[in-house]
Amino acid sequence: MRSLMAILKRELRAYFFAPLAYVVAALLLLVNGAVFWLIVSYLNDPRAGIGAPLELFFGQTVFFWLVLLFVAPVVTMRLLSEERRSGTIEVLMTAPVSEAKVVVGKYLAALTFYVFLWLPTVVYAIILSRYSEVDWGPVGSGYLGVVGIGGLLLAAGVLASSLSRSQLVAAVLTFAIAGPLFAVGFLEFLFTGDVLRELFGYLSLPRHMEDFSRGIVDSRRLVYYVSVSALFLFLAARALAAKKWR
Amino acid sequence: MIEAHQLTRRYGEFTAVDDVSFAVDEGEIVGILGPNGAGKTTTIRMITGFLPPTSGRVTVGGRDLFADGEAVRRQIGYLPENVALYPEMRVVEYLGYRAQLMGMARGEAASAIGKTIERCLLAEVAGQIIGTLSRGYRQRVALAAAILHEPGMLVLDEPTVGLDPKQIVAIRELIRELGRQHTLLLSTHILPEVELLCDRVMIIDRGRIVASGTPDSLRESWVGTTTLRLTLKEAGRGAAETLAALGGVTAVRPGEEAGSFLLDCAADTDPREEVFRAAVAAGWVLLEMVRERASLEDIFVRLTTGDEAVAGAAGGAEAEPESAAGDSRPESIEEVEP
Repeated sequence: MRSLMAILKRELRAYFFAPLAYVVAALLLLVNGAVFWLIVSYLNDPRAGIGAPLELFFGQTVFFWLVLLFVAPVVTMRLLSEERRSGTIEVLMTAPVSEAKVVVGKYLAALTFYVFLWLPTVVYAIILSRYSEVDWGPVGSGYLGVVGIGGLLLAAGVLASSLSRSQLVAAVLTFAIAGPLFAVGFLEFLFTGDVLRELFGYLSLPRHMEDFSRGIVDSRRLVYYVSVSALFLFLAARALAAKKWR
Repeated sequence: MIEAHQLTRRYGEFTAVDDVSFAVDEGEIVGILGPNGAGKTTTIRMITGFLPPTSGRVTVGGRDLFADGEAVRRQIGYLPENVALYPEMRVVEYLGYRAQLMGMARGEAASAIGKTIERCLLAEVAGQIIGTLSRGYRQRVALAAAILHEPGMLVLDEPTVGLDPKQIVAIRELIRELGRQHTLLLSTHILPEVELLCDRVMIIDRGRIVASGTPDSLRESWVGTTTLRLTLKEAGRGAAETLAALGGVTAVRPGEEAGSFLLDCAADTDPREEVFRAAVAAGWVLLEMVRERASLEDIFVRLTTGDEAVAGAAGGAEAEPESAAGDSRPESIEEVEP
């Protein structure tokens, strides 16, 4: 446990001492802020339909996905690739610490940093609550979706980072895994058979997020995120153990 | 303390380490000596558990390094060749991280860090960011991280490479100091280092141990073989052949200057008189004739350049250099003695 904490703490420190963290945080806030502002001005228009601003914010604009698909590779690309490139992996893996602990420690650091990136958006809800009634349930489930789906994509990023010593390759690879995970739901419309249609419908991340933003928490989806994340992390630990690659 | 049993490591078709077995006893300082590309780093990576061998195994205190994993790895402190550190961390932060990684409790870690900083003479840079440190200090930080948890066994891969002469002296001093408290295995391609630091030497070439013993015993097994250095004037083309035909001469090599020759002589022979008579008979002018005993450096150069006749004479050592892969031989060994 202590060694896992050591890795977690070191990675968090590395995040906050590198300029990348602030670039990502600023971009994320810029996009989210703009989207929030657009939504609020849209709803202010008397001709617009009725809706809760945060419901639109979480589930129903494409910006959310643009941001998520960009953030996951950038946040995770460094984690293991850099250790390999610089050679620090040698003293890390000869220390009495298992591959699983290294991978989980780094993943938790990425997840913590990711949550930190989203933290400022809580302000939106607070601002709204001063002018109107906010239904906190859907806001909470919206954030649950943000963390769940984010965690899934970050796990994909950790796996990608364990496979290459180049950060660029790791980022592209993350995108290559996260893209289909995101897009697989769209296949729903290409099938007429009930089973396949339903299957792809279940896997549709945009649909999940839409439900989360409405306050619907479906435990099957949480199981999906947790199990697939665990699978990615397991594969990352195996990749790290496959030392013949070094 | 640590035993390597028939370690072999292949990278695809290439065999980097070929059936290497050795043991390092408690308290010993053992040097692995070999030219670049001989398989030193691969051997060390297998010893430290970073790289699994293709076949063979490593035991530390009787326990298998790869099967028993973490507890065994804790007994080894490792300084890799490329001294990789996290550049954004401060020295004390890095040592704190390493202590925590080793599973030390907070109080234990604090006292270990304090002690290690003192031992490695890092007090004046303890608060500095690693990225700003000189190569010499970085080496010491990496060394500090390796000894932080008081491992019984310390493995150092090329600990003085890339340092300036002053830093080399300082790090050697530190290594000697550490050798009093730890079992030490270090690799180097620098000969004087081995003579200065090690109780025992293994010379490795093309993945095989070609000789091993104390520096003295290695020299001793070569005492019988001597080299005659000749400088001749007016020696014709056939001089080398004439010299090679003399009794007791096993090989004739050209010397550094024109007209000079190096004659390898078999054990317990002294062809000096015959050389003189041959010179008189052929009408050469003998300007210089010196008998030299083999230095450790000669042994090293000869063992690692694939000279079969000479290498075969290494007392008790298994020496079977193959000429197949001998294209990339090093010209000479690097001498870095301040």
